Amino acid sequence: MDESLIPNGLSRRRFLKTGAAVGGLGLAACAGFSSEGEGTTGGGAAGGAAGGSGTPIPGVSNKDVEGKTNITVWFWDAGLKYAVTEFNKTNKDINVKFVKLGFDDTHQKLLTSLAAGSGAPDVCALEIGLIGGFAAKGGLADLKQAPYDAGEFEEDIVGYKWQHGSAPDGRLIAMPWDIGPAGLWYREDLFKKAGLPTEPEEVQKRVEKWDDWFQLGEDLKKKTPKTSLFADAFNDVYVPMVEQQGHGWFEGNKLQFVEKAVEPLKKAQEVRKAKIDADIDWWGAEWNTGLKKDAFAGMGIACWMQTGLSQSHPELIGKWRVIKAPEGNYNWGGSFLSIPEQGKNKEAAWEFVKYVCCTKEGQNAIFKSTGIFPAYKPAWEDPIYDQGVEFYGGQKTFRLWTEIAEDIPGNVVHPNDRQAGDIIGNEVTKVEEQGKDPEQAMKDAEAEALKRIRDIES
Amino acid sequence: MASSTLEAGGSRRHGGTLYEMRRNIWAYIFIAPFFLLFAIFGLFPYLYAFYLSFVQWDGIGGPASQQWVGLENYQSLFRDDVFWKSIYNSIWLFVVTSLNLVIALLLAFILNSGLVRFKEFYRAAFFAPIVASSVAIAIIFSTLFGERYGALNYVIGLVGIAPVDWLGSAFWIKPAIALVVIWRYFGWNTIIYLAGLQSINTDLYEAARVDGAGWRQIFFRITMPLMRPVITFTVILSIIGALQLFEEPLLLAGGTASTSPGGTDRAGLTVLVYMYSQAFQYLEFGYAAAMSVALFVIIVVFSFLYYRFLGREEA
Repeated sequence: MDESLIPNGLSRRRFLKTGAAVGGLGLAACAGFSSEGEGTTGGGAAGGAAGGSGTPIPGVSNKDVEGKTNITVWFWDAGLKYAVTEFNKTNKDINVKFVKLGFDDTHQKLLTSLAAGSGAPDVCALEIGLIGGFAAKGGLADLKQAPYDAGEFEEDIVGYKWQHGSAPDGRLIAMPWDIGPAGLWYREDLFKKAGLPTEPEEVQKRVEKWDDWFQLGEDLKKKTPKTSLFADAFNDVYVPMVEQQGHGWFEGNKLQFVEKAVEPLKKAQEVRKAKIDADIDWWGAEWNTGLKKDAFAGMGIACWMQTGLSQSHPELIGKWRVIKAPEGNYNWGGSFLSIPEQGKNKEAAWEFVKYVCCTKEGQNAIFKSTGIFPAYKPAWEDPIYDQGVEFYGGQKTFRLWTEIAEDIPGNVVHPNDRQAGDIIGNEVTKVEEQGKDPEQAMKDAEAEALKRIRDIES
Repeated sequence: MASSTLEAGGSRRHGGTLYEMRRNIWAYIFIAPFFLLFAIFGLFPYLYAFYLSFVQWDGIGGPASQQWVGLENYQSLFRDDVFWKSIYNSIWLFVVTSLNLVIALLLAFILNSGLVRFKEFYRAAFFAPIVASSVAIAIIFSTLFGERYGALNYVIGLVGIAPVDWLGSAFWIKPAIALVVIWRYFGWNTIIYLAGLQSINTDLYEAARVDGAGWRQIFFRITMPLMRPVITFTVILSIIGALQLFEEPLLLAGGTASTSPGGTDRAGLTVLVYMYSQAFQYLEFGYAAAMSVALFVIIVVFSFLYYRFLGREEA
């Protein structure tokens, strides 16, 4: 028999070697858990990359100013600097330090700071897709209570947005800042090439139902076979049709998978089968190339897409037009400003939050430079909202976005929206890639969610 | 000092150790920084993660909101079919990506054989993927893997193979991830093997050649046995690395508005990606901690099995 099978036969040297190897593994295995927060950026294609300590932005000071109350704000888009500069210039008592982090890093660092009990900034931005997770008590200040009294602004904020910032128990955990009113975009030049109507009024008149939009897609493909109307039925049809019913997967504690998603999935599957979409996944390299090669002529997306597209595809500026989505408007994206309970300068933080979210000057300083669209309705009185926009070939899209925003159904976000979204997303991939029956898929998704998420019902 | 310890009734051995420690006090001071840093940044997080695996905690309310739930996290973990699926995916990726060790060993052998010129160039070129940023790698590979405009499908199209939906289909996502991982890490292993090969005394080769051994005999009778400790080292590192794949699967099968982490049918969901989702997206820190402990045990078992049955020197 092999000597070393007997414990006594284990030589000291061997024992130490094994011990060292096992010890080393322990470090490696657990390190995976503890070190994620800093180095890596998650979130896949849409997520931005950034370092842990924030990227310096030209023209915005990151230093304390003596004699003023210094506060820190975290956000993922450099566009906030326009408001920060303006605020610091006019406010005599408060100095705002803007730290730009990656999109995922902003949320993750806030989360780890809350968990650790220290390290959170005075003001932190949150995005609609992730805000639900922060609804638990003790982390973020309820802005309806003194000294904040955000309640006085409720009438001025877009209705559905106010709901999105509220926890299920009625606390306002973050101040609504910007919104993502969305519609159907199309390329005027490609429509013209296919002999289709090009003026937004005409197109809008033709698209009363979703089926009219798909018919337009078939007409387009008949004339210009290499161009589909949109890239991916599951992003351009399924997502809008779900969001038209209000954001989120719960009504109270009741799951809404079957109610909200079965019909949109059936539609998307039909469209895919009829080869109306280009069958190109969103956000990736394929999508970018497809856009350059006119593989698709439109998309269902929100107003913030203008900023990204102006940078990534400047050759298309002036060629886009937008109409309202048929059978109901919807929202995609948008963010909030929160005040963590840990902060020591809450009143100064609130002054800044109020300036950014609830003044015409603050909101429009950012909007005019970046296109981040105000949730604060009085800001829309500015003349710029009635002007034609070059990006959309002179179409008055800013006014269109405000009209859409006033007509979007609201819903209270649920702490488990993110997990529910992933569970349903997994079944959606099966419908898309493997042709699974939508009804069965949504039933399976509900069964899985009930198994995984505490305290919910079907 | 030592004698006073003895008088106080302490054992001779104990006193001896203390005496030795005092005598070498400076040596202990010099190695102390590592142990201090390790205790703060290493040991504490591991122990804390172990403790967290017994609580339910969303993190938002700070440490005060932790709730002790005993073994509940572990019980749910064993019933969690997604967890087992992620384990399966990770083991699949480990087995397939082990191929990089074979490639690395062959390349190292060739580089070391004296048949190749510009050795330094190849060494640097093979190592380059290790230092590249994973975000850049993900962008480049998602371009290569594109279904419609991707270079890979163009190449296989030249020989008449229909385009493959590398990142979209449940069947191909794992091979796609494996390809990136192999590409990324074979250089690292090549360098380690090369170092191992260079430490083998060339007298042995010369003696073998004098005795009439061919290349094959030299490789299997001299090189391989002498390389065994180096190979064991790389295999164990591969087990650790492959079972902890995170960036590549996250970036290639990350999920968008209408999908979920891991891609179609979660076919690309590794244990770490799942753990990350549980902790930082679903705010189940306790459950994620339990997962990290389970993964630790699995890695130890695999490494031990390898070491026990294949990695030992022959008696």
